[in-house]
Amino acid sequence: MEYKLRKAEPRDVPDILRLVKELAKYEEMEHQVTLTEKELLEDGFGDTPFYHCIITEIQGQNSSEDPKVVGFAMYYFTYDPWVGKQLYLEEFYVMDEYRGLGIGSGILRHLSNLAMKTRCTGMMFVVAENNEPSVQFYKRRGAEDLSQEEGWRLFRFDKDSLVKMAAPSEE
Amino acid sequence: MDFSIRAANLDDCKDIARMIMELAEYEKVSDHVKVTQKDLEQDGFSNNPLFHGIIAEVPEQHKTKEGHTKIGYALYFHAYSSWSGRAIYMEDLYVMPEFRGKGVGKALISKVAQLGLAAGSHQLNFTVLDWNKPSVDFYLSQGCFDITTTMGYHCMRCEGEALKHLAQL
Repeated sequence: MEYKLRKAEPRDVPDILRLVKELAKYEEMEHQVTLTEKELLEDGFGDTPFYHCIITEIQGQNSSEDPKVVGFAMYYFTYDPWVGKQLYLEEFYVMDEYRGLGIGSGILRHLSNLAMKTRCTGMMFVVAENNEPSVQFYKRRGAEDLSQEEGWRLFRFDKDSLVKMAAPSEE
Repeated sequence: MDFSIRAANLDDCKDIARMIMELAEYEKVSDHVKVTQKDLEQDGFSNNPLFHGIIAEVPEQHKTKEGHTKIGYALYFHAYSSWSGRAIYMEDLYVMPEFRGKGVGKALISKVAQLGLAAGSHQLNFTVLDWNKPSVDFYLSQGCFDITTTMGYHCMRCEGEALKHLAQL
């Protein structure tokens, strides 16, 4: 099966959101997705992109059909003050029926190449520990689990807590 | 104690590099630090900065015995959540030991929160070492939650040989 990996364009935004929601559903978290097409468009394709996206599309059965977007990865660049620039893989998903065809590996290979070309010393991401297939997929490829090996825990302030913290102190 | 919080500039890189090393020593991994003062200058203060910094400074009369007035810092950058959009990631937060317990850490994180909200962020994320009880307690008291424990999210990294292998170079 022929597939094509390319940079996402503004017209891909509806498909990106569709796949984000599919992945959230796979993780049983679909109610947590509040992102809209409008935000994806402004934040990814404006003057200062907050994220980058690559997508994989498969050509339809006959040439008059539009290609179908079946996988994507969303990433951006971060900084580790100890070892420098990193590529942060925020989201990585291939539709269920298109797995096992090397699409996921192709995406990771592309991103690793990109990481090295852009002087990143590592590629970072987060996986849910109960997502066994994904954990094994990454460990097979040499990823280290920093939470398990070094004790790093990810913490978050949500919007309400953020607003409280940003308020001037009463002291 | 009097102190001020302000955005970091190029001249602060020497002190940021010093404090990064102090934080790494506190976290017992100072041999992991490869980034130099020059790297920080290039990576943080060029046309496309990879991070932003905030500095906590005290007046001359409170300087340390080595003569330092820059006594705390935070490093952060813009991130993105595929579920909720714009986010802020706080990479480092550090206050020199003799200046702790005086509200400096709280003021630094408050500034990061302000700047994050101004940039349209919906959340602030960061990592803490599980044995670092003073920090864990501080953050929990400020209203955050532990995603690794509650949602089972583990931080992963692919680097060095593993990254090269993945790229099949």
